[in-house]
Amino acid sequence: MTDDGTATGGEDGALQDALAAEHAAVWGYGVVGAALPPEGRAQAVDGEQAHRDARDRLAALLDERDADPVPAEAGYELPFPVLSPVDAAALGAVLEEGVSASWVALLDAAEDTGVRRLALDALVAAEVRAVAWRAAAGRPDTTAALPGIS
Amino acid sequence: MSTSSPAGFSRRRLLAGAGGLALLAAGCTSGGADGGSAGDAARAAAQDDRLAGQVPVQEAVVAAYDAAAAADPGLGGRVTPLAAQAREQLDRLREAAPSATASATAPAPAPPAGADVLGWLREQVAAATASHADACLDASGARAALLGSVAAGLRGHEAALV
Repeated sequence: MTDDGTATGGEDGALQDALAAEHAAVWGYGVVGAALPPEGRAQAVDGEQAHRDARDRLAALLDERDADPVPAEAGYELPFPVLSPVDAAALGAVLEEGVSASWVALLDAAEDTGVRRLALDALVAAEVRAVAWRAAAGRPDTTAALPGIS
Repeated sequence: MSTSSPAGFSRRRLLAGAGGLALLAAGCTSGGADGGSAGDAARAAAQDDRLAGQVPVQEAVVAAYDAAAAADPGLGGRVTPLAAQAREQLDRLREAAPSATASATAPAPAPPAGADVLGWLREQVAAATASHADACLDASGARAALLGSVAAGLRGHEAALV
């Protein structure tokens, strides 16, 4: 921990990285939902809520450790234009793959079993959502051998 | 709709957390339990054994995919890519647990005659998912990361096999 209360490396650092990824995912899911027709938004609504929950759990955990949770950025840059439902699904997959990488990094850094369980549960849930988004995006491979690693 | 900021949202930003995990590809040489004391070494050895113990679990998944494809050739196109991923997972586990030896005595799984082959396969995958997840929680460092990733990958297979 630094003097200004900012978390440093190790488990706290990985928690902060996961929180930053969840902030981005929450923002990204807003874009995903906006590009889907109303009747097709349930998956996006559920995904966004899952990431809000994960974000809040991470922030609370860092608060308990007297670490200042990293805030959301003012804005984010999309990795590609999102102009259609297929684009939205592709973005959904990218978001889930992104948070998966941060959860795997947290598994690597975790010292506390509770943190490890949090990361594992979130990683598994992210991959299940990613499978659905990849299918909706028409990607030939809907599954990943090693989510968060490859 | 698209906005930008100095921080930016990009795959690179999100994937940055995965940096430093390259050691997963070359065997687990570090982990939270590794250290200099005899106790640390004992814990690391125990974790190596636990990781090696997951290799037969994954071998069973690979065998289950083969058995399912043999029992219902119509599933071939659907399960072939998943079987390839299961083999990739097995390769990673073996690389990370060099002490693991190929299981020579495990009985080859096979769906019961007349069974719902896809449902049987899903059950085999689910059992392995649970086993890898349990092992992940008992592990630390790169071992936990690899086991968690394999568990998540197999959970994705379950979802795809519905």
